Amino acid sequence: MPRNKSRFFPLRPQRREAGKVRLSSKLRSIQLIITLTFTAITVLVAIIVSLMLYNKFSATAEQNANMNMQQIIEQVTYNLDLYVKGMRSLFETAEAQITGSSSITSPLLTERMAMLMGSREDLVSMAVFTPQGHYVSGTPGQRLRQNTQLESQSWFTSAQRASAIAFSAPHIQNLFKGQYTWVVSVSKMIQYRENGELKTGILLIDFNFRTIDQLSKQVKLGNRGYAYILDALGNIVYHPQQQLIYAGLKYENVEPVLEYSFRSYLDESTGEKRFITVRTLPQTGWKIVGVAYYDEIVTTKRDLNQFLAWFLAAVILGVIIVSVLLSARIARPIRKLERTVKLVGEGDLHTPINVSGAYEVEQLSKRFNLMLQRIRQLMEQIIYEQETKRKGELEVLQSQINPHFLYNTLNSVIRLAERGKTDEVITMIQSLSRFFRISLSKGSNIITVQEELDHIRHYLVIQSFRFKNKFRYEITARDEVLQVQTIKLILQPLVENAIYHGIEMMPDEGLISIDARLQGELVVIRISDNGLGMSPERLGMILSGSKSSSGSGVGVKNVNERIGLYYGREYGLSFESEIEEGTTVTITFPARRDARNETEVKEESP
Amino acid sequence: MRRRRLWLVVLAGVAVSLLVTSCFQSSPDYINTSKTRNIHMIVKMGRGDYWNTVKLGAEAAAREFNVKLTFKAPDSESDINEQIGMVEDSIKQKADVIILAASSYMGLAQVVDRAAYSRIPVISLDAEVGSAKVKSYIGSNGYKAGQRSAERLIQLLDGYGEIGIINFTNTALNGETAATGVIDYGARDADEREKGFLNYVARYPDVHVVQISYTSSSTAEAEELTRLMLLKHPDLRGIVTLNETASQGAGKVIQSLGTNRIKMVAFDSSPSMLEMLQDGTVQATVIQNPFSNGYLAVKHAVEIVEGIKVPERVDTGTKLIDLENMLWPENQKLLFPFVK
Repeated sequence: MPRNKSRFFPLRPQRREAGKVRLSSKLRSIQLIITLTFTAITVLVAIIVSLMLYNKFSATAEQNANMNMQQIIEQVTYNLDLYVKGMRSLFETAEAQITGSSSITSPLLTERMAMLMGSREDLVSMAVFTPQGHYVSGTPGQRLRQNTQLESQSWFTSAQRASAIAFSAPHIQNLFKGQYTWVVSVSKMIQYRENGELKTGILLIDFNFRTIDQLSKQVKLGNRGYAYILDALGNIVYHPQQQLIYAGLKYENVEPVLEYSFRSYLDESTGEKRFITVRTLPQTGWKIVGVAYYDEIVTTKRDLNQFLAWFLAAVILGVIIVSVLLSARIARPIRKLERTVKLVGEGDLHTPINVSGAYEVEQLSKRFNLMLQRIRQLMEQIIYEQETKRKGELEVLQSQINPHFLYNTLNSVIRLAERGKTDEVITMIQSLSRFFRISLSKGSNIITVQEELDHIRHYLVIQSFRFKNKFRYEITARDEVLQVQTIKLILQPLVENAIYHGIEMMPDEGLISIDARLQGELVVIRISDNGLGMSPERLGMILSGSKSSSGSGVGVKNVNERIGLYYGREYGLSFESEIEEGTTVTITFPARRDARNETEVKEESP
Repeated sequence: MRRRRLWLVVLAGVAVSLLVTSCFQSSPDYINTSKTRNIHMIVKMGRGDYWNTVKLGAEAAAREFNVKLTFKAPDSESDINEQIGMVEDSIKQKADVIILAASSYMGLAQVVDRAAYSRIPVISLDAEVGSAKVKSYIGSNGYKAGQRSAERLIQLLDGYGEIGIINFTNTALNGETAATGVIDYGARDADEREKGFLNYVARYPDVHVVQISYTSSSTAEAEELTRLMLLKHPDLRGIVTLNETASQGAGKVIQSLGTNRIKMVAFDSSPSMLEMLQDGTVQATVIQNPFSNGYLAVKHAVEIVEGIKVPERVDTGTKLIDLENMLWPENQKLLFPFVK
């Protein structure tokens, strides 16, 4: 197929041949496939149906024509049979009268003969001859010619040979003066009396062709069809174009006709198809042959032929147009969709897809639009999240070495050192050192809950020195939760928050309690203080990302987002707060364990 | 895309047209008779059995091939001008084909050229005409016919004696010399027959052609000429006549003489001539095929109109008929037209 393509579409620039077996993509288009299959199937069906119809109809037409023709010929045969019987009975009447008459020369007989002659206009002459060929008597008024050679004529010889009535082939009657006419002679040996003596003679009656011609003219076998009559020997007795045949201008193939007495067949010897029907007259052995021209008599067949041809042409044309239009209608939206999707594939996510058409295509376009929208959303989200993450990490990095916190802490250490509280200085420095160690934790973002709790404990130790026992703290944790992993520095901003906003302003001693536990597969860490508490507005502000009120560390919002990014949006912080009562922050995230870091579980309390 | 659809439609169109044409069978090989054709047949003379038989044949063909046949003939074979006028009329009437039995070989040559100039094909029937534009000639070979006639007459005369010829021509002058003018105004068939006869006779030194008489075309004139000839040449042993009217006239004279002394070979086969043949007045006759001539002329005329190639010459043959063979079935068929 791809090879032939250039022949089908010679004007199109040639393309490289893609695969050996695969059709070119143009030829595999929906439109072409639909058009071709639809056309092929319909045309095939139309052709099959037409052929079947044609065969059926033409067979019937042929049969009808054949039967019709046979009926016509039978009718002619019947009429001709009657005519021949009439001839015969006339002959027998004449014979009876001659034989019964006392003398052949009697005026009564002559009168009767004249009457008989006048009764029919197809009678030409009547005569009696001796077996030697001498004229005895005949129709009055006729004079015999010389040199008639009647002894050698067929009617004479056949009458001598047989006693039955003989019908001759057509011949010229040359016996009597006047006209030479073509006749059929009926003859027989009879008895007659002359001068009281019984003699035998030959009675001859000649008939002309008027009646036979009339009978044959009734035959209507199409425009060119005709009927002709053969005698038993194959001589043409009557033919509508007899003279043409006699002159050798026409030829009638009589041999196949002669072999049968009753037959209908299709003859093609003249190059044209002709129906031939043969019937035989029993009395004379004459054969009536009907000739009908096949293409004329089976006109229905030709009409049908023509009609079917036009019908097929119309159907095929119609089918091609319809299928081209139909396939175009189906394929166009799909193609449009394909083009748009291609654009999308090339990166233009903002291409609008508004393809109308079949329901499926419309739905496809709609869904595709939705999908595109979602992709766009997700991409924006990813961009946002990536940015936030980077910012958060940066902030975490900053908070690892918080200069302000370090300065405050070192100030406190200096004050303690001035007062000579060596133990406390040691504790302080120790805590500070551990605090930073965990903060850095070799660059890893992920640490165990235990480390995180250690971290916050050191922080609290440091802060409790700074705030001169302004608050107490307690850290409780279940064993099973200690080895669970967490992202680091999530507690410190919250505790810092609790100290600066909850407890610092309090007149009484505050309490910060941290509790870590597993709830199912969740790690739940609560940080509660009994400080000033927050108004609901303020609560909202904390998570919605308004500026962290203290520059001391990583913001509360940052913690929440980091948890969300790392574990999923459903995890994070929740706040419960009441003015003058205190605030509880709950951190929830899924418990993940790292198998390689299985250190001993330690519980620590102040 | 558009272009491909176009190609597709073109392809389909070609397929459809192929399908359609394959369904129609090629036209059959017989002459199309759906259209009526105008064919004019102009013969030498309206009278006479010979021309009647020609007409019968032409009419048979006309019926068969759906031809409107216009049959024209002057009253006399010698009336060249009337025949020329008839041809001119046929040209004016825009005949499809003109079939012409020219009374004069040269006399009608010009008008035949004019017909050809008007794109009307001309077919010669029986007598040729001096024009190269003639499509086809249908008739018998006059020269051979003359020889045949001579052969039989010499046989009848046992090879010696005086012979008189009664021929026919168009010139009204009935003298002993026909070719008075510079131009040969005789009918071609008459000339050919005479030539054939004389050339055959020339082989026999004992046979003398003592007189050639020319009749125009009436039986009475032929009778008169025969009588004159018999008076002039009392030793005449044989008479040969070269057309139908001449034969009938001479036959009547011989019949009235009632002697068997003069042998006669006639031409053509009118019923009266056949009577004389059966009587023994005339010993033989050379027959042509007038029916075939008429039939074939019209048939070929139709074929020319149809664009089918026709033969340049169609010789329908001649036959010598005598008492012995006149009733042979095949001769019966030639001698007696089958008229219903």
